[in-house]
Amino acid sequence: MSDWSKVTRPVPVPNEWTKPFWEAAKRGVLELQRCQSCGHFQHPPYATCTQCVATDLQFEPVRGVGAIYAYTIMYHTGDKRFASAVPYASIIVELDDAPGALLAGNLLDAEYTEAKVGRRVEMVFEKLNDDITLPQFRLARAPAE
Amino acid sequence: MWENRCKIAVSGVGFSKVSRLADTPLAAHALTAVKEAVADSGLQMSDIDGLATYPELPATGHAEVDGISIVSVNCMMAMLKLPNLSWHIQVGTTNIGGALQQAVNALLAGVCNYAVVWRAMHNPRGTYQNLPSGQAAGATQFTAPYGFGGPGQGMAVAYTRWLERNDQNREKMATLAVTQRKHTQHNPHAYFHGTELTREDYLASRMVAYPFCLFDCDIPVQGAVAVVLTTADRARDLKPKPAYLAGYGQRLHFEVAGRIGSLSSYMEGGSSSAKLTWERSGFTPKDVDVAQIYDGFSASVIYGLESYGFCKEGEALDFIQDGRIELDGDLPLNTFGGSLGTGRIHGLWHIIEGALQASGRAGSRQVKDANVSFVGASAPIVTGTTFIFVGEPY
Repeated sequence: MSDWSKVTRPVPVPNEWTKPFWEAAKRGVLELQRCQSCGHFQHPPYATCTQCVATDLQFEPVRGVGAIYAYTIMYHTGDKRFASAVPYASIIVELDDAPGALLAGNLLDAEYTEAKVGRRVEMVFEKLNDDITLPQFRLARAPAE
Repeated sequence: MWENRCKIAVSGVGFSKVSRLADTPLAAHALTAVKEAVADSGLQMSDIDGLATYPELPATGHAEVDGISIVSVNCMMAMLKLPNLSWHIQVGTTNIGGALQQAVNALLAGVCNYAVVWRAMHNPRGTYQNLPSGQAAGATQFTAPYGFGGPGQGMAVAYTRWLERNDQNREKMATLAVTQRKHTQHNPHAYFHGTELTREDYLASRMVAYPFCLFDCDIPVQGAVAVVLTTADRARDLKPKPAYLAGYGQRLHFEVAGRIGSLSSYMEGGSSSAKLTWERSGFTPKDVDVAQIYDGFSASVIYGLESYGFCKEGEALDFIQDGRIELDGDLPLNTFGGSLGTGRIHGLWHIIEGALQASGRAGSRQVKDANVSFVGASAPIVTGTTFIFVGEPY
């Protein structure tokens, strides 16, 4: 299993569009940008709704359960900070309640060979420092609804 | 059909030496390629009155220094001191294919007569793709903390989706790598000219970012290529047989920065560009005699073949088997070796090869009776452009 204890991750720098996402994560809540006109969730945050082009967008809580949309297994150790975790699974997750919004993460607490397209995952929070808490994923423990 | 089809042609082409190390400044590579392209046309440098490029360093986390890691239009202007220069541009949204399309438009508009387009690529010292140092700002804030660095990893995730949704096997990609390396042996300018690659080599090679092994990734190099474009009337008076531009397109789909892994975005990008190219030229995929499809990472060829309409979605790895992409196959593919054979020079070399095949100038790798020559000049998701060249105007 990948050893993440020695990995120093690059720390996200929130900006005007992404600040609400990171503030919610710090509170332990996953909030994504949602179009107030058509109800579409999207991620990463953007200036307009990528579905209906409306500009009234608010961050709203969304359930952190979904499926692996795609993944890669990282073997390359060009960046030495991640070397102790190699090989590790970096995954892209599509949440059940936010189709089309794609969240990146690592598959934690599992062998990298467990990463497969379509496999059920749930979100967990990984605190990086006092300001930034990172959404991450592990294999789903609760049965799918 | 496009009223301007076959009104613009590719004439001369030029290449610098492709090297692994950046031991010669990039500006010298670009200058060599441009001079060679002008000489190949039989023109004097003073005839050149248009300049276009895409001066970008795809390696992340390295400084852009003009003449060292990029070669801008300003840099080329200063080196060439062209007495008759009347038009120039650098593009942002469409990679080098877009720069070439702008040169086509300028020639059609009559604001220049002989345009040179070049692409110069730098290989920086140290790690090619660096993650942000301590902090991940902008679009990387949602990707770099999880180890996503360069574009290859973004393409690798879409490739796993393609493989598993279509119940496919990555080992079939060996055919692409091995066939293109065979083609490379007919291209003396290519980095891997003189180096063979077997199926066993491919299957035994180390993983970089699964499903990509080493031989799914083009090797970073230092080098430059260049091409002279002019109007069809003028091209007919020059030394080489012209390759006429029958049509072009560019991707019309936009992906939000930081949203990676979307397979459908590759498909929408590619199909939007190809649709314009088929409509403007009047050709269909069945009419194509030879194809160059961007292969910086091998999976780009899958997305290209499928989104441009050469085969159905999910079938590309079967489509390339059984000799189809050999020089004497039904669809000879990346006949110059592709980026996997030449080294990472981006899509202008694909465009050059498309033109050489159309005009019958491809030497020992020439596809017999090739007339309709297709080019997909970059990965279809972000910067995709497509072209068709013909040897016989219609």
